[in-house]
This record gives sequence, C-alpha cells and structure tokens, in this order.
Amino acid sequence: MNSPSSFPKFTALLIPFSFFVVSVIIAAPSGLTLLNSEAAATFKNIFNGIFLEAIPFVLAGALLSSTLHLFIPEQMISRWIPKNPLAAILLACSIGIVFPICECGMIPLVRRLIQKGMPVYMAMVFILAGPILNPIVFGSTYTAFRTHPEIAYARMGLALLVSISIGFILYLILKESPLKHSSSKKHNASSYQHQHEHEHEHDHRQQKNRLTAVLIHTADELFGMGKYLILGCLFTAGIQTFIAQESLTAIGGHPLGAYAFMMGFSFVLSLCSTSDAFVASTFVHAFSPGSLLAFLVLGPMLDFKNFMMLLSAFRVKFVLFLMFFIVSLVFVFSFLGDLIIQHLN
Amino acid sequence: MKESFIRAHYLTRSFILLALAVYIYLLDRSDSLHYYIAPKMEIWVSLCPIPLSCIALSLLIQTVFRRGRSLCACDHPLSSSVVRNAAVYGIFTVPLLLGFLLPNQALGSAAALKKGMTLSGQYSTEQTLKEKFKSPDIYNEEFTELARLLYTEPVIQVNQDIYYETIGALDLFKKEFEGKPIRLSGFVYSDSSLDKRNAFALGRFLVLCCTADAAPFGVFIKPEEPVHFPKDTWIEIDGHIHVTQNQGKEILSINAAQIRKIKQPKTPYIYPSDDSVAKLTKELGQK
Repeated sequence: MNSPSSFPKFTALLIPFSFFVVSVIIAAPSGLTLLNSEAAATFKNIFNGIFLEAIPFVLAGALLSSTLHLFIPEQMISRWIPKNPLAAILLACSIGIVFPICECGMIPLVRRLIQKGMPVYMAMVFILAGPILNPIVFGSTYTAFRTHPEIAYARMGLALLVSISIGFILYLILKESPLKHSSSKKHNASSYQHQHEHEHEHDHRQQKNRLTAVLIHTADELFGMGKYLILGCLFTAGIQTFIAQESLTAIGGHPLGAYAFMMGFSFVLSLCSTSDAFVASTFVHAFSPGSLLAFLVLGPMLDFKNFMMLLSAFRVKFVLFLMFFIVSLVFVFSFLGDLIIQHLN
Repeated sequence: MKESFIRAHYLTRSFILLALAVYIYLLDRSDSLHYYIAPKMEIWVSLCPIPLSCIALSLLIQTVFRRGRSLCACDHPLSSSVVRNAAVYGIFTVPLLLGFLLPNQALGSAAALKKGMTLSGQYSTEQTLKEKFKSPDIYNEEFTELARLLYTEPVIQVNQDIYYETIGALDLFKKEFEGKPIRLSGFVYSDSSLDKRNAFALGRFLVLCCTADAAPFGVFIKPEEPVHFPKDTWIEIDGHIHVTQNQGKEILSINAAQIRKIKQPKTPYIYPSDDSVAKLTKELGQK
C-alpha cells in the first residue's frame, strides 16, 4: 500500500489503540492476576457475545456480496431504480421491512450494490433505515416499553425522518463515489487495477467452478471487514467491563447532558437494534423520552462497531461527514419528538 | 503482485478461518454457546462452521493447486508489508486466544455492578391508574392475565421460562400480592446500599440477543435472619411477598424464610417469552 489512502486507515486505528494502551497501563499493577480476575471473565463473555452474534450476519453479508459481484453485471441495478429521488429514498426505507438484516451484514452488501449501480444516497438510506424500520425492531421496542408505547411509534417515525433527510442531503451534494478503491478514483495504480479487474471479470466468466470464486471473494470480504469488527467488539467489551454505567449516568442529570450521554452511550455500546430497546428501558425513570429516542435512533444508525466497518468500505472524509449529519439530525429531531410526546401526555 | 505473497495470504487466512470454525464447533459441542448468545440465535451461530470451513478449504485448495489466475485479490489489494500483515492477522487471533485461554463462564455480580442492577419497580401503581384511562394495552393485559393465574397458585413458582414476565406481573400488582408465598431462584448480588439494610438482591440476566445487551435485574430480598452468602452463589428462596421502600420508590420485596444453596442452572440467563400466559396455563393444567 503506497497510495495516500493508507494514511486514513491508520488513523482509524488510533482510538482503539490508545484505549488499549491506557487500559494496559491501568491494568499493569494487577499484572498476571488480571487473567484470572472477574474482569477478564466479563470481558471475554461480552466480547464473545458480540463477536459470535455478528458472525452469521457478517458471513451472510459477505457471501451475498460476493455472489452479487460474480453474477450480476455492473450497472445492472441502476435499471431497476426509480428516477425520482423521493421514490428511490422511500423504496430504500422499505427494503428493511422485507429483509430485516442487522447492520453488520449490510455494509459489504451495500458497498457491492453501489458498485452495481445503486445511487449512493439510496444505499445510505438503506443502511440507516434498514436496522430500525422493520417489524422485528418495532416488536421488541414495543415489548420493552410496555408502559410507554408512544416511544416505539416515535422511534419508527424519527428513523424515517432522519433517513429521508440524509437521503436528500446526499442526493443534493454528493458528486463523487465515496467508496474506497472505487474505479472512479484516480490514483497511480488505477489504470493497472482497472485493466486487472477486467481480466479478472473475464476469467470468472470462463471459469467453470464459480463456487470457488465466490468463496474466495467471501474470504476477501471477511478479512477486509473482520479486523474492524474485532476492534469494535474489543472496544465495546472494554467499555462494558471497565466503566460503570452508574458513573456515566451522573452526566445525564442535566436536560441537555442527557442527550449527550444517551447518544454517546449508544455509540460506544454497539448493540443490535433488536435488543437495544431493553437496555434503554432501564433508563425510563431517569431520562427524558427525547434522550431515550436519541439512544434508540442513533445507536442502530451509528455505533462504534459499525463506524469501524463503514471505514472499511468508505472514505474517511465521507464517514465523518455522514456522522456529523446523523448526530445533529438525531439530536434535533429527538428533541422535537420529546416536545410532542410531553405535549400529548 | 508476486504469487508467493498471495499464497502466503491465502494460507494464513485459511488457517484462521479453520481455527474459528473449530472454535465455534467446540463451543457448540460442549453446550457453551448459551453463555454468550440467546437460544434463538444459537442455531445460526452453530451453523457457521460449515461455510467457514468451506471457505477455508477452497482457499487451501487454491494455494496448493493454484488454479491459474483465480489467485487474485483485485478487490482488497493485498499488502506485502510484513509488519502490517502481522498486525492485521494478529487481530484475528485475539478472539481465538480469548476463546481458548479463558474458561467459559456466565456473567455474574461483577458485570451486574458495571451494567447497573435494576431492582424491580419499573411498573408503579401510578402508571396502572393512568393506563385505565388509556386505550387497553395488550402487554399490560398480558401481565394482568398472568397475575390472575399466578394468584390461583398456593405457592407462586417463578418459572425459568417466564421469569421476566412473572416478576413483571407481580411487580405491577405487588399490593394485591402482599403476603403471598413465593419460591424463586437466582444469584446473590449485593452492594453497599443493600448491605446497610441487611438485604441483598436475587439477580438474573435478561438476554435478548447476546451478552452485550444482557440487562441485570434483581428482586429485593430481606432474609428473616441475617445470613451471608458469597456473591454469585446460586440460591433458591422460599418466602412471602411484601412491598418495601427503596430510594423513594415502592418496590417488590421478598421476606425470605428459607434459603438453600443450589447448583447454577443449565441456562443461567433468562429470556423474554412470547406467550407467558399460555405457558403458565399449560403448566398449571399439568399439576
């Protein structure tokens, strides 16, 4: 890797790396006993929980993505996409209702869909809306907030609003492909790589054993994304093992602090959208409905694990840009949602 | 890119994927997956070794027989820097090292302390009154129905399958259940505020998908005679339901007459149930 793109990749590893250095320094005095301690057991348990849980989704996403790569010609999808941006955005919002996939499996799939001609704004709406706007998540949110069913409805509404807004913003301002290693990207190796890719494509057509090709591409996807997934899991497990929730809840006392806390909390916890509602419901007495909504909407759209995985597929600048919009929109909309809920009560 | 580089990459990947497949297979064989993920997800994880080993084998076959130009990595350009590769593949050994070096163990008090133990009391009577003036809520109906069934039992048995719902129903109607005999089990959890009142909490982890979302919740236990159990001991309690004040809130509490040590159950966590009323009806019918 001698292209300039190796620089941002390295910076992305700085946060977890610094976290590890600090936790190693803190843990150093207890030395070897750490391995037998309760903390190590908890850490392993939580890490394994997230990691094992993610494997089926990541595998499915990688397999599907490789199959698309080898069987569907470039630009084919663009023929099926509605020309009207609003129709395209609404279509993307509703894919989740039919295919309720977790966000871990989505990123490799979406990257491939973009390469096959899906417009970027539509793909991003799919990534953002899919994990929330589906029957499974609605059901689990409704169950978790038995006494406050309005939260479940508000969660769906907010997710739809935020996804549509981001879809339009991207439609209006995004001019070039945000993918890493995309063929439109002009760097030194591009002509070589382009030609290479053509030969490669040609080979696969001739090759009788397409299954092997799919499997080898799946391995490429798994290793390209897996390192980010593992770092995300390690970071999350570290947070859950070493930082007491109670010490963080103190920040939530201030009405605005509650939003900051709940959004930060959902970012670092990296929970699945089907289960985060139960975690949020334990805060129902201490926090305002708006801050709970911010937790429920931001978490599935953006959390540490999926931030790392986005970095594996998209350019750093684009991911940061997206993060900026998601956080500010979720904050504003959940605050307005809070006003409406309090007004209705 | 040199072919030998690509082969080294494929060989490493093949070994890592194979090791991962073996690890998941062993977890499944030794019945240890439930320490980490919920039963509804177990089946999917236990199937993963099949695609993983298929991928590993095809990588291995490609490396050994190197069938022409399909040895290619145009998608994610492979790196030839040794340090970089060691770092990247090193990351993949972390789950394997953690997995093979540390024992499989259920979450306990240490995790409950960090996650924050919720003592029941989520459903206050104030809310129930408010509910009466709202359109009927199917979930409170479920709890009401469950409470009616539970009330018919001479001693309320808190069943593993519907633990979460049973405690929810008792909590919602705690005043009506005052004085009813009850039997339940869990692990011992205590902190300074509970110690001060010579009480402890009987804890359980509610798991939805995996242990990252495990939510510890406990029932306030007041032993009739002061007892001391080390934390994380599994116990079974016979006692009576009472309502007590905790941090300005009315909560469900159990005055424990008898406390017995038990073995950790086969499934230490509890999971939300789809239809608790049907399950309890069936069980009561069998008696």
